[in-house]
Amino acid sequence: MTQFLQACFDGLALGSQYALIVMGFVVIYRATGIINFAQGGALILGAYMTYNVSNTWGWNFYLAIVVSAVVVAIFSILLQRAMLQRIFRETIGVIGGLLLWAASVYNGASHAVGVVVGVVAGLVIWQLAARIEARVGARGPSELPLFGAIMVTIGVLFVVRQIVATIWGFGELNVEDPWELDTTMVGDVILQNAKIATIVLAALGLGLFFIIDRYTRIGIAMRATHFDHEAAIAQGISTKLVFATAFGLAGVVAALAGTSAASGANLITPQIDTIVFLAFPAMILGGFDSPGGAVAGGMLVGIFQNLVKTYVAQPPGWFPTDDLTWLGAGFERVAIFVVMILVLLVRPYGLFGTEEVRRV
Amino acid sequence: MNRFRHLVMGRPNERMIVDYRDDLRLFPTRAKRAWLLFLVLAWIFLPAVWDNAPFTILSEHGVSLNTLAYAAVFSIAAIGLNLLTGYTGQVSLGHSVFLAVGAYFTAYAGSTWDMPMLLWLVLAPALGWIVGALVGPFALRLRGNYLVVVTLGLVFIGEHIFRNWKSVTGGSTGTSAATVPVSVGPLDARNLEIFGREFDEDRAFFWLTWALVALVAWLVKNIVRTRPGRALQAVRDRDIAAEIIGIDVGVAGYKTQAFAWSAAIAALAGALYAPLQLFIGPQDFNLLISIQFIAMIILGGMGTVYGSIIGALIITAMPRFIEGYSDGELPLLGRLIPGDGLPAVAAKTTDDGLITVSSLNVVIYGLLIAVFLLVEHRGLAGIWVRIRNYFSTWPFSY
Repeated sequence: MTQFLQACFDGLALGSQYALIVMGFVVIYRATGIINFAQGGALILGAYMTYNVSNTWGWNFYLAIVVSAVVVAIFSILLQRAMLQRIFRETIGVIGGLLLWAASVYNGASHAVGVVVGVVAGLVIWQLAARIEARVGARGPSELPLFGAIMVTIGVLFVVRQIVATIWGFGELNVEDPWELDTTMVGDVILQNAKIATIVLAALGLGLFFIIDRYTRIGIAMRATHFDHEAAIAQGISTKLVFATAFGLAGVVAALAGTSAASGANLITPQIDTIVFLAFPAMILGGFDSPGGAVAGGMLVGIFQNLVKTYVAQPPGWFPTDDLTWLGAGFERVAIFVVMILVLLVRPYGLFGTEEVRRV
Repeated sequence: MNRFRHLVMGRPNERMIVDYRDDLRLFPTRAKRAWLLFLVLAWIFLPAVWDNAPFTILSEHGVSLNTLAYAAVFSIAAIGLNLLTGYTGQVSLGHSVFLAVGAYFTAYAGSTWDMPMLLWLVLAPALGWIVGALVGPFALRLRGNYLVVVTLGLVFIGEHIFRNWKSVTGGSTGTSAATVPVSVGPLDARNLEIFGREFDEDRAFFWLTWALVALVAWLVKNIVRTRPGRALQAVRDRDIAAEIIGIDVGVAGYKTQAFAWSAAIAALAGALYAPLQLFIGPQDFNLLISIQFIAMIILGGMGTVYGSIIGALIITAMPRFIEGYSDGELPLLGRLIPGDGLPAVAAKTTDDGLITVSSLNVVIYGLLIAVFLLVEHRGLAGIWVRIRNYFSTWPFSY
């Protein structure tokens, strides 16, 4: 029984992380209809920002979480503006200018020269990009086939991961959180304080989201936009604002998820976004467009994963075999994908998702 | 419209397409036949001249004949993925698994059973076909986002199996494919001798792999320009409409078959990858490899066979090229940017520099995918078509 409760508690903590991650996906999916893999990049950035503010700058840890959430939200909104709203040429110009500025300073030019080179190059590249865009009729990902939009976000994920690795290095870093390895005992169940904090953090983040979604004007506007895009515009809802809010909220939950994934016994590396991929079964189980489903799916998958982990290591008495080591280490991570595939075969739109109506 | 431009423009020299057989010809124009001849000659003679003058700009900076052999292997896989994604419209992030199936099979069968090359060249794709046919039916119930996530799950499940089925795959450390037989009759790629002249392994593998690229390209081209190909494209454009006009998209229908054949082609690429790489492990078949394949077909051009090959060449050669130049002198930029090598690029993580070569490569993949999708979603093939049309419709190029 202790074993079971222990697995459930650990699963709840893991499930909270999944729920936060999935919530980010769901918010963006409801606004734009694409799965934003760049959410993984936001999570990495969140973890490293928390590390940077609390360790390097030495600020209070809770303040660091807030700073990280704000920074990642801004990053997320900028990303959305750059990738999804046709300010592509400006983005290219800025990136090109920055690159040439860095290159010229790196090659020994003074900062003044570097700035001039960067600005001029940025303007030239901006104009060139605009010309090219006008000539070939570049499109935003929202006009791309679905596959294209997803690939753009995967591309962004890889870029962000490498940039973070360039800034903070590939090594393992330890966030100085107040919980460290402390534990609380309830009966025979060991509750790691970091895991309790994760659950609280998730409750706060998800609570914030549900309040905004349910009771504020912008939340209602978001739901209206999801329900019928054009009708929402006709009612005077600013879709720009809705998109920005969605991406901002997604950034906040990603930062929280990243921080919790980096806290306690865990270390951060640029590969920390693996957990984003592990959250996909939770998203599938919940359905892409259901915030409630995100929480339920996250918890179910988290608990299931930990139960599998516990009972594969030590099969219960009634089980015909007591040696399951042939399944291999980390089998629980595969088990959730197997469950996901089985669920999809029965309900192709997830347990709580909306069934898609297909027309010719 | 393009096909009939000679009618519009009144160009007497261009061959008129008057019947179906003409329309289906692989090399309809003189220019295309000249290209074919050029490519055959390049295939034969490139290994002989690769280390000489104009090619030294590539061969001395990381892009060796060995790299070109890798490019050939990835071309095969990219053609397979293009059949599925470009022609049938089904996204797969799981192609690294199909590649792995072929590679592990070859490594195991070649080392343990001493299976001859002609046999594993057939059996590896057959095994890939079976795996693809098992995955394919998922695409019947799922589409778009959900299919992406399931194929992503395939990568994780595959990686777990490769790490834990130690008797076959060697677990996390991997398995050797150095003793896999690569010989047909008297010709052995590891010890090639033709008319008394000896050729080294790199040259032999160049000839072998690119010959198979030609074979696969020819097969796929034949699939896509005939009835099955048109069915696949109809499924891509609107699967319900395709079903209504009588195209079979059932369990044994075109979608499943596209998956199976695409997986078989990827497994063939994997079968060649194993003896080329000599030692294979789970890290050779992770998600990044699948993304690379997708980058290849996006860069080259979705729904074209030659685009897959061009994309594979560029995506394979580019990292080696950047690596080769990261601590050498730049050919053209050398005068503009003082200093050795690319600015701010470090060859190793310990070197001084803003960004390491491997990071830069991944960043470039990401940017290439994003920029090509946003600016020219038909890839380099699309740019080529644009250029060709500009000149062939001149002076009415608008």
